[in-house]
Amino acid sequence: MNMLTRRQALHQLGGGFGGLALVHLLATDAAADGPRPEFNGGLHHPAKVRRVIQLFMNGGASQMDLFDYKPELFKRHGQKFDPGDGTKVEAVTSVPGNVMKPPFEFKQHGGCGRWVSSVFPNIARHVDDIAFLMAVRSKTNVHGPASYLMNTGFVLPGFPCMGAWLSYGLGRLTDNLPTFVVLPDPRGLPYNAQGNFSAGFLPVLHQGTIIRPTSPTPIADLRPPESAKYITPASEADGRDVLRAMNREHADRHPGDNRLDARISAYELAARMQLAAPEALDLSCEAAGVRNLYGLDDPVTATFARQCLTARRLTERGVRFVQIWSGAGGPSKNWDNHSNIKTELPAIAASTDRPIAALLADLKQRGMMDDTLVLWNTEFGRHPFSQGADGRDHNGQTSVQWMAGAGIKGGVAHGESDEWSWKATKGNDVHDLHATVLHLLGIDHEKLTFKHNGTNRRLTDVHGHVIREALA
Amino acid sequence: MRRGTLQILAALLATASVDGAEPLPPAMNRPVDFIRDVQPILSKHCYSCHGEKKQKAGLRLDQRPDALLAKILKPGHSDASRLIVLVAGADPDARMPPDGAPLSRQQVGLLRAWIDQGATWPTTDGDHWSLRPLIASPIPLSGSAAVANPIDAFILAKSKEKGLTPSPIADRRTLIRRLTFNLHGLPPTPQEINAFVADPAPNAYERLVERLLASPHYGERWARHWMDIAHFAETHGHDQDAVRENAWPYRDYLIRALNADKLYARFVQDQIAGDALFPEDSAAVAALGFLAAGPWDESSQKDIRDDTVDKLQAQYIDRDDMITTVFSAIASTSVHCARCHDHKFDPISQKEYYGLQAVFAGVERANRAYDPDARVARLRRELQQRRADIVAGRFDIVAQQTIVTNWEKGARLMRWKTLAASATARESTVEPRGDGSFFFTGTRPEKDTYTFVATTVSAITAIRLEVLTDPSLPHHGPGRQDNGNLHLSEVRVRIGDGTGKPISIVSAFADFNQAGWDITRAIDGNPATAWGIYPEVGKAHEAVFVLKETLPTGTRVTIELDQLHGGGHLIGRARLSATGDANPMLNASPLPQTVTAILNVAADKRTPEQNKELTKHVMLTRLDAEIAALPKPEMVYAAASDFDTLGSFKPPKGPRPVFMLKRGEVSKPGEAATPAALTMVKGPSPTIKDAASEAQRRAALALWLTGPDNGLVWRSIVNRVWHYHFGRGIVNTPNDFGRMGAAPTHPELLDWLAVWFRDRGGSLKDLHRLIVTSRTYQQVSADQPEQSRLDTDNGYLWRMNRERLDAESVRDAVLSVSGTIDTTMGGPSARHFTLSPGVHVTPVVDYQKFDLDSPGARRRSVYRFIFRTLPDPFYEALDCPDASQFTPVRAGSVTALQALALLNDRFTVRYAEHFAARLERESKDRNAQISRAYERALGRTPSDAEAKRLADFATRYGLPSACRLLFNCNEFLFVD
Repeated sequence: MNMLTRRQALHQLGGGFGGLALVHLLATDAAADGPRPEFNGGLHHPAKVRRVIQLFMNGGASQMDLFDYKPELFKRHGQKFDPGDGTKVEAVTSVPGNVMKPPFEFKQHGGCGRWVSSVFPNIARHVDDIAFLMAVRSKTNVHGPASYLMNTGFVLPGFPCMGAWLSYGLGRLTDNLPTFVVLPDPRGLPYNAQGNFSAGFLPVLHQGTIIRPTSPTPIADLRPPESAKYITPASEADGRDVLRAMNREHADRHPGDNRLDARISAYELAARMQLAAPEALDLSCEAAGVRNLYGLDDPVTATFARQCLTARRLTERGVRFVQIWSGAGGPSKNWDNHSNIKTELPAIAASTDRPIAALLADLKQRGMMDDTLVLWNTEFGRHPFSQGADGRDHNGQTSVQWMAGAGIKGGVAHGESDEWSWKATKGNDVHDLHATVLHLLGIDHEKLTFKHNGTNRRLTDVHGHVIREALA
Repeated sequence: MRRGTLQILAALLATASVDGAEPLPPAMNRPVDFIRDVQPILSKHCYSCHGEKKQKAGLRLDQRPDALLAKILKPGHSDASRLIVLVAGADPDARMPPDGAPLSRQQVGLLRAWIDQGATWPTTDGDHWSLRPLIASPIPLSGSAAVANPIDAFILAKSKEKGLTPSPIADRRTLIRRLTFNLHGLPPTPQEINAFVADPAPNAYERLVERLLASPHYGERWARHWMDIAHFAETHGHDQDAVRENAWPYRDYLIRALNADKLYARFVQDQIAGDALFPEDSAAVAALGFLAAGPWDESSQKDIRDDTVDKLQAQYIDRDDMITTVFSAIASTSVHCARCHDHKFDPISQKEYYGLQAVFAGVERANRAYDPDARVARLRRELQQRRADIVAGRFDIVAQQTIVTNWEKGARLMRWKTLAASATARESTVEPRGDGSFFFTGTRPEKDTYTFVATTVSAITAIRLEVLTDPSLPHHGPGRQDNGNLHLSEVRVRIGDGTGKPISIVSAFADFNQAGWDITRAIDGNPATAWGIYPEVGKAHEAVFVLKETLPTGTRVTIELDQLHGGGHLIGRARLSATGDANPMLNASPLPQTVTAILNVAADKRTPEQNKELTKHVMLTRLDAEIAALPKPEMVYAAASDFDTLGSFKPPKGPRPVFMLKRGEVSKPGEAATPAALTMVKGPSPTIKDAASEAQRRAALALWLTGPDNGLVWRSIVNRVWHYHFGRGIVNTPNDFGRMGAAPTHPELLDWLAVWFRDRGGSLKDLHRLIVTSRTYQQVSADQPEQSRLDTDNGYLWRMNRERLDAESVRDAVLSVSGTIDTTMGGPSARHFTLSPGVHVTPVVDYQKFDLDSPGARRRSVYRFIFRTLPDPFYEALDCPDASQFTPVRAGSVTALQALALLNDRFTVRYAEHFAARLERESKDRNAQISRAYERALGRTPSDAEAKRLADFATRYGLPSACRLLFNCNEFLFVD
């Protein structure tokens, strides 16, 4: 195939040029299947949101120790856990222990009176801007499949994650930076490693671009290796000219193949990205007040503060989707608190509390909340009974997730778990969360599909309902 | 209020005209396809009452309702069709569906349009192109010079129909570059190009084709395609992305099989059930890596508790991947769509899907031992058969009499003398007991090493370790773990006090081995494996270690017992003895207590049962020594029914029960599934000789798939091969020949090729030869605007397609052009990263720290190690897909990040330097260097202007900078 149809061009070039820019570049037909200006860049209806920052708490944040306040746990602390309906109580890695109360104090906050534990004093101040999903079910109790589900809508590897779907569906807002950026925890990649940021069967260009702000090479291949001393700014500039001339002559000898022209443009875009990316990652120009707000200079919060502030700068400059990870895969230094809730949870929570609160305040102050969505997610919840003496095992039956920003009704708590926070009673599926995010971006989750191996695949598989109760 | 059946029937059959009703929604103004547009509406809104389970009013809409069709539909007149009146709510007395949301106006509009357009309601079976019987289409007559072989006749006939004319034949320079990349994934060398361009022979092209097909590079290139289809990688994927050390033999199988031109049916059979169908071809066991190629959920399969829903779900999902692999790759069929419900578009029922699950219910993905040497395999099989016979008591006791008598003499001669040793332990307290044994006590550590030191009082050839019971141990021992077990990780024997020369242990025997924890694991040098005795606790056990050399009298010897498994799996009480027996291999194996008891009875007093038991023991001892002497088997990560238990991941011991899962949920099992294939394929059903044998289930499926009547399979492979030659299949969805897949552009050609290929025996090389010698393949790729207008994406092949090199070809071309490529074939994969332990199972992988000049760096890309969740960014930038997904078609994207990777990746920069060094070695003259650079990288000499431009650049910034540009130019990355 040497001719790209417009649809193919959108698929193949989206990451290089993307949505609106591509239309200009190729000067083809109207954006019949791309983002529509009259929908504020949405595909199927008007979009409230144009960019997303997703905060992912890797390991399974303990909902009843953070947001899902259950007095029953305090009353029955130490008693044998018996849900009373004859259901078999099982835990995936351990033998179920006795009921365990949260080792933290709970208070009501904000005008909405939302319960938040003492672990999150700063986030607690923003509850009136947040819509809580109080009972979100997973399909599994195991990290790998559950992380895949939360990221891709499937419990298996090989499916595109939400950021990739958005890149595919909506294209990019800027030519100078990647569309979908992932900021991993510098201590390590999450469970499933890069599988969570994969484009799956979508064209590979829609996968997350990993940025490591503290690394000497924050973006792979942005610059030539240090070892090649003969590559200088002058040689780069002249080299681009020679390469353009070679490619131009070749394209002229082979007319009618717009991939050849696209590659010529790709090198121009690459040069622009080389300038734009370091500027976006340079936090030195941020005011002292902003640095302080995020906790950039406090060793407890410095790492996550840098991720959050970087995310704000990237979205400000047109990155469509930024995913920030808290916690690496593995037995500790994440949200997978099997051994001791009392010591492990406050430690990881404190590293994120102030930066997240700062991000919400900063976005609001800059007016970015008008078209930015902030998501706080985790792959599943934890059990109301103990694992060993003081820990909690994985619980796919309920979890708390939250959303804030454009299109969100603040102060809402939608859904409900049982008296133990063991099982969702009035709950949502992970697919509902995905459907809602797509809805806010102007996408009907049933209509954004990609044909693969005989099936029209969607982010929401064959499920998903938009959670209207959480929407403004 | 529920209505009676009669009422509904009456309502249904009433006349369509209804007075005073709302106007019907308008019919949609576009062509409507029943399968795509109408069936989903019926499926969602009607099947629950008018489907397979219920047929209210006798109406069934999941198949063509022939008897009632005329009553509900008036083709061409949707406004007069009862169906429309009911679903539009136009009859106040009857509405369909009676409960729930009514159909939207758009849905009614679609149904109306369908009826107005003739209400075509295809029967679901058999009439789809891919399910029709395979019949060779007649070759169109042409008499044109543009026909080199039948392929051209088919292509030309279709072109004529569309008003297209074929393009001219490409020049030889273009042809050799195209053909070499296509068959080898490598560029031709300047010498090869010049030789071909200058070859005066009329069959120069055919000779080139033969040379390329005969080269082993052919198998390397085409195996890589099959690895895409099989979604092969060398780690598990998921959150515990552990390395599969033994996955590579499957890749080597593919390369060998393709180079040997293994016939296609056999190639498929090997990969699904070669072990069952061709036990004599032992090397082909590696082919079963196909079934295990995909991801595996280690945490759900191995680490979580056995009785959980998550575990069961993981097993179903794992089998789903095997089935999907087989049917996507080999039959281009999306059976996986029938996991939660009957297939929406193709005639595949959920029941059939679970029948396929049952076919694979007896295998898992695991390391599987095999003997690549067929003679060893045969010998091992025979010995194991003999062993089974002996165990079952099928032997002639009289014939063995002499052997047993002689053995008994040896056994009696065998003297175990307690070693007068001293014992210490790193952690535990040691208490000597009066009988030469030692008791290990104190606070139980997680792990420990016990050390015994003794001086031999006679020459010794073997050492015996007795682990003994004690009332104070849990379950009386002999281990200190709560369950009475112990794990002996490693045994070491040294001369002197522990730092002296190590003495090898050649073999080890124990009176009892825990499953997966046999005694050989205590001498395998791997501290992660160990000997265990569970569940035979509360009894003494013994293990014998045969030394490689005889230790003379008076040797000071140190024996160390590592017990590193953790969890307090430690020996409670132990005693060491030694023997000087000349043949300890045969005589020294520990005697089971039953045998010792028999030996204590005088020979003439023994009962016939005792004699038989003793004979059995002797025969087994001798046989086991023979088996132990065979070369060690190789391992391959493959489908396996028997393997070592790993945590809670255990061999299935025969097919596991499989149930039809309602909505695909393990919590909703329906009826038990029995192994079966697909009824939509005409021809004989698979015959399973013995359904209790999991191997027979797979064998039956493999034979069914490769039967001559299975049109899906023969069409699938010729289309795949076509796809990899032209960049586009005759069917553009190579993994989906169903109704939702693409239709063939040249159905007659597809069928002709399939029949031709099948009837000639299924030689892939024959098929390549036929395709690449067609005139169609040899056309130029140049665009022609007037023809483009008729056929924009060249579906009718009026020219050749220009292809962007895939990631592997780019890398291999860079290596080849720079003169650094290492063409070593086979063996463990080259790891183009550094590997260090991660915090959990998944290691830390760093592609940036890898030494690009280390030997493995220069091997062909097919030999690189593929990490599922930590992929190589350079390959990703060039569209190398997620290795957890099936990839029938590679993308050829153009992006800014790709430009950055080609410019700046350490690999291209370093190998541009190597390329420059090579050019400088070959000539000191700048112009000659540039000319040579063009010839090597682009297969042609530069024009004067081109040469001057690049030479000037090289002079200003160095030759490596110029070489880097060549690796980035379009001419390098695209093949005409």
